Formats: sequence, structure tokens, C-alpha cells
Amino acid sequence: MHLTRKTSIFVACAAMVVFAVPAFAQAPAIDYVGYSWETGGFPPSVAGDELVCLGVTSNLDPIFGVDLGVDELTFHLYGLISTGEVPLGGGMVMVTYTGGMMDVWRDGAQNADWGLNPPNPTAPASFVDGTLFFRGAFNDFTVFMLGDGSGSFEGTLNGLGGEVLGDLCTDCAYTWGGTYTQLSAQVPDGYDMQMDGELLIEGSVAEDVQTWSGVKALFR
Amino acid sequence: MRKRTLTMLILAAVVAFAIPATAQQFFDFNGQTVVPTMVGGALSMNAVIFDAPPATTPIVLDFANFEYTLVISGLTLDVDGTTQNYSGGMIALYEDAATAADFANGATFVDGAALLSGVVTDLSRTMFTPTIGTVLGHVDWTGGTRLSDIAPEDQGGWPLVSGVNASMFQVEPGYDEKWDGKVEPEEPIVGNEYFGFGELKTNFR
Repeated sequence: MHLTRKTSIFVACAAMVVFAVPAFAQAPAIDYVGYSWETGGFPPSVAGDELVCLGVTSNLDPIFGVDLGVDELTFHLYGLISTGEVPLGGGMVMVTYTGGMMDVWRDGAQNADWGLNPPNPTAPASFVDGTLFFRGAFNDFTVFMLGDGSGSFEGTLNGLGGEVLGDLCTDCAYTWGGTYTQLSAQVPDGYDMQMDGELLIEGSVAEDVQTWSGVKALFR
Repeated sequence: MRKRTLTMLILAAVVAFAIPATAQQFFDFNGQTVVPTMVGGALSMNAVIFDAPPATTPIVLDFANFEYTLVISGLTLDVDGTTQNYSGGMIALYEDAATAADFANGATFVDGAALLSGVVTDLSRTMFTPTIGTVLGHVDWTGGTRLSDIAPEDQGGWPLVSGVNASMFQVEPGYDEKWDGKVEPEEPIVGNEYFGFGELKTNFR
């Protein structure tokens, strides 16, 4: 088959769009633990309450390029506004939140300290120092709770900024989720809940530029 | 009581019962789980334990030189449903520097020294959506080379809490769910704990 130069360029560009290759075979994850509080306390979650969470990273995919022996990665969730509890039956309740931001900070100070009765001199201050690694705005955020004080949460984000966005991928889908528990957990005084979960990059399929030879090789 | 003796007792009490002002202690794990499809089947989990400063582990672990794995086996499904109830499982925490944990090879999780071993006395698993759930159980530590690091009165009833993620993006081949959670004592395990002398005396009244 012979293609004109113009046609070749067009086909190559189309191939870049159509055959965008997922950057990751499995979703890269940042594993964290943290504690949260809600204005007015939790549970129950009352409409209008703000949820705040402070967390530290315990493990992350090597693709992020962070050595936790050198830098700490800390999380700060804020501005999540409760719409109130909705009973689901069987003792389950669901709480959806509107708004909300998540900042992830990288710093070598290794100084994260939840302290007691937040906000306090170290929280959130020791979780928001260093270099902004990631900033995202929540599209949605939902908490599920059982009557025994255990539960889960999940939310999705749009990435807005931070050093990881330029390095890792653009137009990615970020998911924030994990376990949310009060019962028998070592929750510091003044915090309401313990969070343990992951920030995931799912569906990171924005673009992977291939040469024309590379595209052709896919069909051989 | 002579003043000198009293001073010695106070100092001894301060040394013997020192406790950090704030300290979160837990074994933070991230693992893959096989979930049974019917009552009577067994649940199992292979997990890696991670360091999560400023929180610490309930017993001192050397993350710089060893890998730590947590394994649950033989946890029997008693009641099925949105909330499942389990009992009768075994749990062990291994220390190993020879082979890296590989979810494709379960043997890499149970090699090395069993620092702690015990039983999962009860566990419930509730799914809120097809992919999101929560787990709450309890662990009694009964054996292992480091069991004596934990006072006998602190060895039982440790909560096991975990999130459940059944997303296809997160489950390794051969497993059903990813579990991300922790096993923790009801309150921090301490070698020392501070008491005022007056408070100390009340313990002997």
C-alpha cells in the first residue's frame, strides 16, 4: 500500500488517538493511613459538617519515584461538606459529601504528627509542608457505615496540580478509598475516625505517543 | 517510709511505667484475599506489612533489612450474605530476608521466622457495593518467637480492620479481593508507663 505523505501523517495522528496505550498494566497505588474529624463530630454526620482527614503514606508504587526513607508523603483532605446520613437498612448508613479537595505533600522533614484535638500546632501544619506532590478536587465522596462503627469510603478526583501530574499522566482517573473505622481503633483524642486505604490511578489511558513504526509493529 | 526510699520508689515507678504521650501502634498490611463461595469454605489472605511512621509497630520490626508478611488461613465461612461471618482461622506474621513476597507464589509469604502466630477468633465482612466493603475481626496471639514481647494480658482481642476492594484493577490473578487494613492492639503496647506516685499507690489499695 502506498500512502501520500499527507495521508501518512493523518493516519499516524489517528493512530496516536485510537491506539493510546494504557500506561500501567495495573493501577498504581499510594497506600496511606490517617485520622479524620468532622465539625460537629462523627457519627452522626450532620448536613453541613465539614470532613477533614490527615494521613501518611506507608507504601507506594515505585513509578511515583518517591523514597519513603527520604521523603514523607502526607495527605490533607478538606472542604468535604456532608449532606447528612441516609439509612440503607440493616443498620447501614450512607453519607455523601459535596466539594472537597485533596492535597498530597512531599517533604524530607519526616515531621508528620497528628497530635490531639485538631486543629492543633502540628495538625494540619506538619501535613501540609514541603512540595505539593498532587492536588485534586473531589467529584464525589461517599462514606458507608455500619452500626458497629466500621465502614468504608470511596471517592473520585480530578487532578488539578502538583509535581506528579506532569511526570506521571494527565487526564487520569483518581480514586480514593479504604476502610473507615471507629470501633476499637487507636484514634487520637479529638479525631473521630481512622482511615486506611489507597489513592489509585485507574484508567490512566490518556495518551502514549508511538512512532509510526511502533504503531505498524502492533499489527505485524 | 524514709525520704530516700520514697524517692527511689518514685524514680523506679517513673522508669517502669513510662508511656509515650501519643503513639499509634499497628501492623499496617496490604494483601490479596481468596473468598469462599459457600458456607463451610475457607478464606485466606496473603499480605505484606508496611512501616507507617509516625505510627509504630506493636513489636519492634526491622523494615530496613527484612520483609514482613501477614498470612491468614482456614477462616471458615459460617454465615453468608451481604455481611459474612467467619470463625476459626489461623494468622501468622513472618520475618524474612531471603525471598521477596510474590502474590503469584504463596510460599513466599510463609517463609522465614514466624514472629507471631495466633487465631482469628471472629471476623465479619460486609460489602456495601459490588466492589467496596469492610472487614472487622479479632486476633488472639498465642505463639511465635516474639510472643513474649507482648505481655500476656495484651496478647488477646486485637482488632483486625480492613477495607475491601474488589475492583478488577486491584485484584491479583488467583485472588478475589484486595484487603488494605491493620491489626492493632486495643491500646499501645508499652514497656514503660508513667504514673504519679499517688496513682501508683492506688493500684495497691
